[in-house]
Amino acid sequence: MSELIPPSETMEPTPLRRPGEQVDDTPHDVVRLGSAQGGWFRRVGWRHLVGVLALAFSIFPILFVVSAALNPLGTLSSSQLIPTGASFENFTKLFDTSFPRWFLNTMILGIASAAVSLFISACAAYAFSRFRFKGRRFGLLSILLVQMFPQFLAIVALYLMFATITDLWPPIGFNTVWGLLLLYMGGALGVNTWLMKGFFDTIPKDLDESAKVDGATHAQIFFGIILPLVAPILAVTGLLGFIGAVNEFLIASIFLTQDSAKTAAVGLYGLVSQERNNNFGVFAAGTLILAIPTVALFQFLQRYIVGGLTGGAVKG
Amino acid sequence: MAKSEVREKATLTPPEKKPPQFGMAADGTSSPAGLIIKILVLALVLGIAVWAALPLLADQRWVGLAIVVLVTALLFYIYLSPRRVPAKYLIPGTLFLIVFQIVPVLYTMSTAFTNFGDAHRGSKQDAIAAIEGTSVQQVPGTPEYVLSLATKGDPTTGDIVFLLTDPAAKQSFAGTSEGLEELAADDIQVGPDGKVVEAPGYTVLNIGQASARAEDISQFSVPTDRGAIKNQGLSRAFEGTPLRAYDASCDCIKDAESGQTWTADDSNGLFVDSEGEALAQGWKVNVGFRNFTDVLSDQTLRASFLKMLVWNFGFAIGTVVITFVLGLLVAVVLNKEELKGRRIYRSLIILPYAMPVVAMYLVWRDMFNTDFGLLNRLLGTHINWFGTTASAMFAILLVQLWLGYNYMFLVCTGALQSISADLTEAAQVDGAKPSYAFRTITFPLLLVALAPLLIASFAFNFNNFNAIYLVSQGAPFPPDNPQAGNTDILITYTYRLAFGGAGAQYGLAAAISVFIFLIVAVISILSFRRTHALEEIN
Amino acid sequence: MKRKLRIVRAAVLLAVVALVLSACGGGGGQTSGGGAQTGSGAKLLIWTGGGPGGEATKKLGEAWGKENGVNVAVQLVPENLQTQFVTASQAGKAPDVVMGAHDWIGNLVQNGAIDPIQMTEDTRAAYEKLAIEAVTFNGQTYGVPFTMNNIVLFRNTDLAPEAPSSIEDLVATGKQLKAAGKTSEILALPVGPTGDPYHINPLYTSGGGYMFGQQPEGGYDPKDLGVGKPSSIQAYEKIAALGEKGEGALKRSIAGDNILSLFTAKKTAFMISGPWQFADLKKTKLHYDVSPVPAFEGGKPARPFITVDAAYVASKGQNKLLAQEFVTNYWSTPEVNLALFKASPNVPALKAALEQIKASDPLVVKVADAGRKSGQIMPSIPEMAAVWDPLGKAEAAVVAGSDPASSISAAGKAIQASLK
Repeated sequence: MSELIPPSETMEPTPLRRPGEQVDDTPHDVVRLGSAQGGWFRRVGWRHLVGVLALAFSIFPILFVVSAALNPLGTLSSSQLIPTGASFENFTKLFDTSFPRWFLNTMILGIASAAVSLFISACAAYAFSRFRFKGRRFGLLSILLVQMFPQFLAIVALYLMFATITDLWPPIGFNTVWGLLLLYMGGALGVNTWLMKGFFDTIPKDLDESAKVDGATHAQIFFGIILPLVAPILAVTGLLGFIGAVNEFLIASIFLTQDSAKTAAVGLYGLVSQERNNNFGVFAAGTLILAIPTVALFQFLQRYIVGGLTGGAVKG
Repeated sequence: MAKSEVREKATLTPPEKKPPQFGMAADGTSSPAGLIIKILVLALVLGIAVWAALPLLADQRWVGLAIVVLVTALLFYIYLSPRRVPAKYLIPGTLFLIVFQIVPVLYTMSTAFTNFGDAHRGSKQDAIAAIEGTSVQQVPGTPEYVLSLATKGDPTTGDIVFLLTDPAAKQSFAGTSEGLEELAADDIQVGPDGKVVEAPGYTVLNIGQASARAEDISQFSVPTDRGAIKNQGLSRAFEGTPLRAYDASCDCIKDAESGQTWTADDSNGLFVDSEGEALAQGWKVNVGFRNFTDVLSDQTLRASFLKMLVWNFGFAIGTVVITFVLGLLVAVVLNKEELKGRRIYRSLIILPYAMPVVAMYLVWRDMFNTDFGLLNRLLGTHINWFGTTASAMFAILLVQLWLGYNYMFLVCTGALQSISADLTEAAQVDGAKPSYAFRTITFPLLLVALAPLLIASFAFNFNNFNAIYLVSQGAPFPPDNPQAGNTDILITYTYRLAFGGAGAQYGLAAAISVFIFLIVAVISILSFRRTHALEEIN
Repeated sequence: MKRKLRIVRAAVLLAVVALVLSACGGGGGQTSGGGAQTGSGAKLLIWTGGGPGGEATKKLGEAWGKENGVNVAVQLVPENLQTQFVTASQAGKAPDVVMGAHDWIGNLVQNGAIDPIQMTEDTRAAYEKLAIEAVTFNGQTYGVPFTMNNIVLFRNTDLAPEAPSSIEDLVATGKQLKAAGKTSEILALPVGPTGDPYHINPLYTSGGGYMFGQQPEGGYDPKDLGVGKPSSIQAYEKIAALGEKGEGALKRSIAGDNILSLFTAKKTAFMISGPWQFADLKKTKLHYDVSPVPAFEGGKPARPFITVDAAYVASKGQNKLLAQEFVTNYWSTPEVNLALFKASPNVPALKAALEQIKASDPLVVKVADAGRKSGQIMPSIPEMAAVWDPLGKAEAAVVAGSDPASSISAAGKAIQASLK
């Protein structure tokens, strides 16, 4: 006997409980067939082992970057994993360039790009998931297929297009963050839409129906019911969008030639230029600093990704 | 059940049939907040449309203006109409997709029917201008003049005059559109470098003024019997004559000195002489299906196409599978509530994702170095990673695993969190082992949620240029075939073909891309039909 | 209900009108503002690559701009400057001046992207002859050079006090050092998994090979491809003897990214590279010397490629007048050349500048001497672009031990095919 959950209550993520059920909070590890109440290692420790191995696998190439950043003669093939002769010379050299400005540009672009593309993607995923309309399959397929066209060929076309745009509307032309943002929006309907559609599909339509009967508009259903339920995937998509925008180099390097408009990725590559070897230390230092907001954002979003929510895939 | 009760209620008192109202939802319920937001947004759209339309109007670009008007009208219609609900959600993304992805793709595909590329980028006029311009030679025996840019009268409107000094003969002239006129030494003032500083009846221009008249200056020259005197910057002038000129009557370029002629070949966009030698500058022409037939008849491509296609699919599928498996494994293992330090694990595992991909590819390539690379030194081996096909493929997939598994880990963690933990508990209460519960309940649900992602990830990796090019560059290459390596995927081969030759050949590359596109599209459509992946799943 | 609707309609109308008015105001202001901008003073846009040379160019450009009242903007384009310049030129967004290598000239000319430059006799004479030759194409001068680089042999004087007289001598010394445990590699010459024809050219030419034949009036003849001819195969047979299956002096695992660390870590006594390494070498305490790349015993002279960086005037730039002035009159001065040298240690192209650094940077002068004596200007014809990739892969294959005859002929065929 499930009562209708009015829209307002689902705004807050709550742990899944069947309404009216007595909650038994005492930890009961009684129902674990196959694993006796064994030692710590058996239950939890081995998981730590896996975690540490995964961590080591992920981290070790990054140590290269760290060691290059700390090495005044930082080259790509320092051949040493553990940094020796550490000095912060590369970091001070980094701040002699326009790095702070580039960093700011990147943050603005990253956050704006993540937010807008997340919104667009979520709207589209909702439509693909919830509505049946002519051209739905075609639309889904074409989103995928457009991704498969090689970027480096479309660059000439994009350049010509933006040359005209810069002439007509300078605020969104070359060397502007807004122009680049618009360009990134072109890719908003992409892999992320598919990802989110999959998650939207796991939310039962009954929820929509009952809310509709209750008098909610489709917008209210979308913003009030569906979105809170998929908060984890929204957080993940937002994070991925941010990372993508921060690290994007190919298009940004063509679009941004003016020093004050560059993003950090473009600016840092400019430091290394043709001879990848020289100045790699400064490049590595910049890369590490650039990774900090990403990690911080992830920490911030962790609780959205982690929190369990209502509306699981299968409901009685 | 509560649901049916409400339904019953609904049927008992049917809502009044109201005609769709302006801005209201069909069933008559639209929140006031929603309405206000809609109005604001539409007003903003209109404001932007007007702002965008003004420069188009000023420039008289009627097509652009029409497009802006149409799009605005479309937006208004969709958002004000009570129906068209799916469109309301899809339109913003679709507009961006069309403008910034589909239009460039279509334009690029259209270049497949041309010979667009280096030496064939512009129009025939451009080529002729370039040929004539680069054939200007200094007339032998003429002096290298020191120049002072001047005007007759007002600097902004007067006729341009070149005040020239021949440093060797120490003579000064005024060069006008009628020719050279000697200037008496007493009348003028000459600076130490030879530049005329003052001359009666003429105003010497400074840099700012000269820059303002730049266009007039560039079109100005002083005619002489053997050619014309043109400026080189602000302070030098030379007497030169263009050796080559275009003759419209024969549609050819004639060289005045040697008498050679190059006739226009409009099917190839080049000027060719009697022996088949062409001038450097060419132009873009339509070549119909020639690029496509070239692709089909390219020997290397034919021999290696199947091999590349198979590896392309294997690479894409392999990447998706291994990253998903490892990501899922780690996500499941680390999903336990009691596991302390979960947050730390998570943050550090996704750290590779925060590093710029291109730099990491280079770091990994360095690690695979046969003699000095980290991997060989750690393992104590001397494997030539990119020397044999199998090891090169392994190396590439290993890098992809490192780069991609944390993305899958993240997504799987999110998915696992969304899937009710109660389910697995309930299953275990019923007597199922944890692994059985996972296999039969959690995993299928996971797959349902993530199937679209896996498909999309496959699509992305199919054309993952950087993954191959930066790591192995397609190596190893069979000694008799330097063009198609054993780890080349279609797109890296396209890139090499298009940009490795004598200049970039965008038309040819576009043709190959069209082929790749068609192949992938056909295969995707077929596989979707079979797996019904686009059907409703619930 | 009806009243609410009327109010709503009125509100919408008001909002729309308000926004339209503001947009008109904003738009009008913008267009008129845009119009005013074009007349407001002299401008110059320069594109150059990144790195310390780019930074120096920025300072020099701004200094000139200040002196002459011109608004100079120098933008650093780190990757694919040549391609981006050509694309921008075609789209009508070209800069006024672009700095680039001389082997771009062929491609830039065939795309109508740069204008020829008329140099006075005095200016021409002030440059190294080879530098001027490098920027000449089809009888026209296209750029004002500022660096003239070539590769030389770097030698750790503690390990190898004498300069080797031939390749064989070098290999012998290298093997001795290796046997004595002092070094682990004989030579650090960049090869890489896909080869490096630029660095191996001295050995290739000494062995008898050539890239393109010379035309009688100067310049390279694209019809006479040297790769694939018997002379090229003979040269590569000699190179194969030094490769992984031979002496082990040439290895594919040695590439541009690790030669410096091998040399500075004293893992090898010999390195073949260019003057761009001087900046990093200064930071170490290594004792080293440079000498011309030695030839094979009894072979032809070893001819390293000479590459020249030059400033070009863009054909489709908006400010050609100032661009010509900047390039021909400012960029050709010794002060500029020296400033660029201080930022990035490349061999200056101006004779006067080279004179001035004789005392402070004798090694750079040695590099210049080596280039002058036996250097070979890298071909700038567009056809050269088709050579690098196939020849490089063939070189890598030969170094790995495969048969030179089949690898080089295959490369030759591939190049011919792409030139058709």
